[in-house]
Amino acid sequence: MTVVTANEPVVAPRRYGNLRRLFRDKLAITAAVLLILLVLAALLAPWLAPNDPYLTNTRLRMLPPVWETRGRWEFLMGTDGLGRCMLSRLLYGLRATLMMGVVATAVGGSIGLLLGLFAAFYRRLDGLIMHLSDILLSFPAILLGLSFAAVVGPGMTAVVISLAVATIPTVVRVTRASALVVMGQDFIEAGRSIGLNDRTLLVRYLALNCISSVFVYMTLRFGQVILLGSALSFLGLGAQPPVAELGTMASAGRNELFLAPHIAVMPSLVIVVLVLCANLLGDALRDMLDPRLRHT
Amino acid sequence: MSMKRLALLATAIAGGLAMATPALAQAQNTLTIVREVDSDRYDPHRSTARAASEVLFMLADTLVSLDHDMTSIKPGLAESWTVSPDGKVYTFKLRSDVKFCDGKAMTADDVVYSLKRWIDPATRSPVRWRAGPVEDIIAKDATTVEYRLTAPFSELLYQLTQSFAVVIDKANVEALGADFGVRGFNGTGPYCWGEWRPRNDMRLRRHDAYRWGPPIYENRGPAHIQEIVWRIVPEENTRLAAVLTGQSQATQYVPYSGMAQIRANRNLRIVDNPAAFWTYFIGFKVDKAGVDDPAVRRAMVMAVDQEAISRDINFGETEPAYSYIHQSATDWNKAVDSRLIRTNVAEANRILDEAGWVRGADGFRSKNGVRLSPLAYGFTGSTWQKLMETVQGDLRKIGVDLRIQLFDATVAWGKLATQEFDLFGMSFPYITAGDALNLYFRSTNAPTPNRMNWKDAETDRLLQTGMTAVSDAERAAAYGQVLQQVHDAAVWIPLYHEPMKVAANSRLAPFKAHNIYGCGFYKGLDLRFTR
Repeated sequence: MTVVTANEPVVAPRRYGNLRRLFRDKLAITAAVLLILLVLAALLAPWLAPNDPYLTNTRLRMLPPVWETRGRWEFLMGTDGLGRCMLSRLLYGLRATLMMGVVATAVGGSIGLLLGLFAAFYRRLDGLIMHLSDILLSFPAILLGLSFAAVVGPGMTAVVISLAVATIPTVVRVTRASALVVMGQDFIEAGRSIGLNDRTLLVRYLALNCISSVFVYMTLRFGQVILLGSALSFLGLGAQPPVAELGTMASAGRNELFLAPHIAVMPSLVIVVLVLCANLLGDALRDMLDPRLRHT
Repeated sequence: MSMKRLALLATAIAGGLAMATPALAQAQNTLTIVREVDSDRYDPHRSTARAASEVLFMLADTLVSLDHDMTSIKPGLAESWTVSPDGKVYTFKLRSDVKFCDGKAMTADDVVYSLKRWIDPATRSPVRWRAGPVEDIIAKDATTVEYRLTAPFSELLYQLTQSFAVVIDKANVEALGADFGVRGFNGTGPYCWGEWRPRNDMRLRRHDAYRWGPPIYENRGPAHIQEIVWRIVPEENTRLAAVLTGQSQATQYVPYSGMAQIRANRNLRIVDNPAAFWTYFIGFKVDKAGVDDPAVRRAMVMAVDQEAISRDINFGETEPAYSYIHQSATDWNKAVDSRLIRTNVAEANRILDEAGWVRGADGFRSKNGVRLSPLAYGFTGSTWQKLMETVQGDLRKIGVDLRIQLFDATVAWGKLATQEFDLFGMSFPYITAGDALNLYFRSTNAPTPNRMNWKDAETDRLLQTGMTAVSDAERAAAYGQVLQQVHDAAVWIPLYHEPMKVAANSRLAPFKAHNIYGCGFYKGLDLRFTR
């Protein structure tokens, strides 16, 4: 029989082969590289943007990208309906969209993680937390967005709050399911028997053993959040003018769809690439961390 | 260009799918008009939306009508009228051959009932004031109506041409109760209520007994078109696709960006009315910090490039506005022409510098701790989004950080009745200077529609003088002074005047577009298919 000491909680052995497996997955590596490039482009937007993204010049409106006949080198990706540089706005828009996705996923994910752990650890709270979670699940994110926009006014704050709130219940469920499995392990019982307090048990024994599955879920959720956030912005609930945000840009571009399709197509393409990369990476991480999928 | 073709194809397919099935079933003599929004109901006294007026003008008639020139009053249900020397009593002589859609003859009692319902406080009509200071409305006999006022109201005949003043059937109103204008409507117009599927379509069928159309039409009735379908298509590119593919044969709701395509298409043409009596503007709340400084307002008006808005944003289809109403509207004061504020960014910057508004490190101005970053409220949708962003871009050039919040129409009207914002975007139809000025600049109309909080005793006095004037000259002089006063105070940023432009299929015979309350088809009596 293995002897378990209080200072050495039983955790799954580190799998050094995981990273190697990830590197062998060409699709995942491509997605990761693209995602890193997009994040870098967003972070460096003020230095990379060739023009002021807010400077309007209606005389130069709807210029096509440089590879088309009317294109101009100073506006590589053309201009939008008000003559603003599309490339600069895409870079700034990417920044806003990524920030929205990261903040909403992090805030919603953290709250969901805590609630999920509490539900599994304190059984008397389980019913209450899960019922609350079920209630939240019954509200579509779009409806939540509309409600918050009505209260705090349309803008990034309303979108981030509604996306964070919409993220909570699903993370609660994933965390709870994962935590319940861990709660059934012997080392939790052993920890209790040697008199460890709840905080240590929750953080060192429970949370650390659930975090990988929750992280994988949040990676996948990040893609959904970007898509939902862009949809809310498309409906006019998100970033307010002149702030560039990919969903808002796609929405503004649809009015010029006949004359300058690049205005709607480009931000939409960036959203597609962003979401696809996040999903591919999430899938790869899940495959890597789930022993049942490791050899498939 | 492949991308453009793809976009065109996708939109055409979307439009086609939305409309194909009903379009196939349409009879040869059915006219389908696509439009952006529906009305919440078709009760003339409770619905002030243009979407309601468009249909009500066809369903019902008014005592007097308005000619295409937007200034001449012509007979309608009343074949003649007289005005007492003191301007307080209008006597209307009605036609004796008018019938409702159900076949019942229309009498003076119906006119009295309709007009009294309009002004009855129980009706809670938001446009009650348009009826003037009514003392009483009396049916002298079956074909004579006396409209008595407590004071002269120089705008009365113009107001009586509007859809709020149509004649309705008392029995029909009482039978339908709260469903009046929702489940039915018995009017005397060239068309009768067919079927209404809210936010989908409104079907009107021809009133075969109709013979009393206004003399502004060659055809006095019955209408040539058997059925008119007003179909709701919210997306502007889909509306354009519907017109290009012939699924809609006429509409005034084509995006400016599609006008060139319409003109280039030999199966389509544009029918226009140059009387651009629908003006877009951004108003200031004149008592809010920052924009309470007349120098700031003047500089902001000066910074906006109205010509660029009309030329580039609206593809040259609108008229740049420097005046609050079109300069050809009745009672425009020509002396104001030379005082209008024209675009001049350098001068705007100089005015702000002189007024002590200093640019900070971020390029935006402030003074005594007040940052020049006014908040503007407007409507969501492509029109106001583009306008607000253009104005925002123009104002950045003079160091004003305009913040924008756009709301859906269901929320916007409530938001625009608050004191939360510094500027607001709005557009409005009018017939005369008095029509516009009395609506927006009376103290008693604050906080809405006088959202500027313009409260000035002299303005009120002049508006009252204009409204109760018994001579044209007296009225024009009073309204002229108000026009000068409010233009000098830079209370609005005028943006553009919108002329009426109807896209029509060449299967339709030539007709004239109207512009009454922004309704291009008015009664639709001359609409006719040639093949």
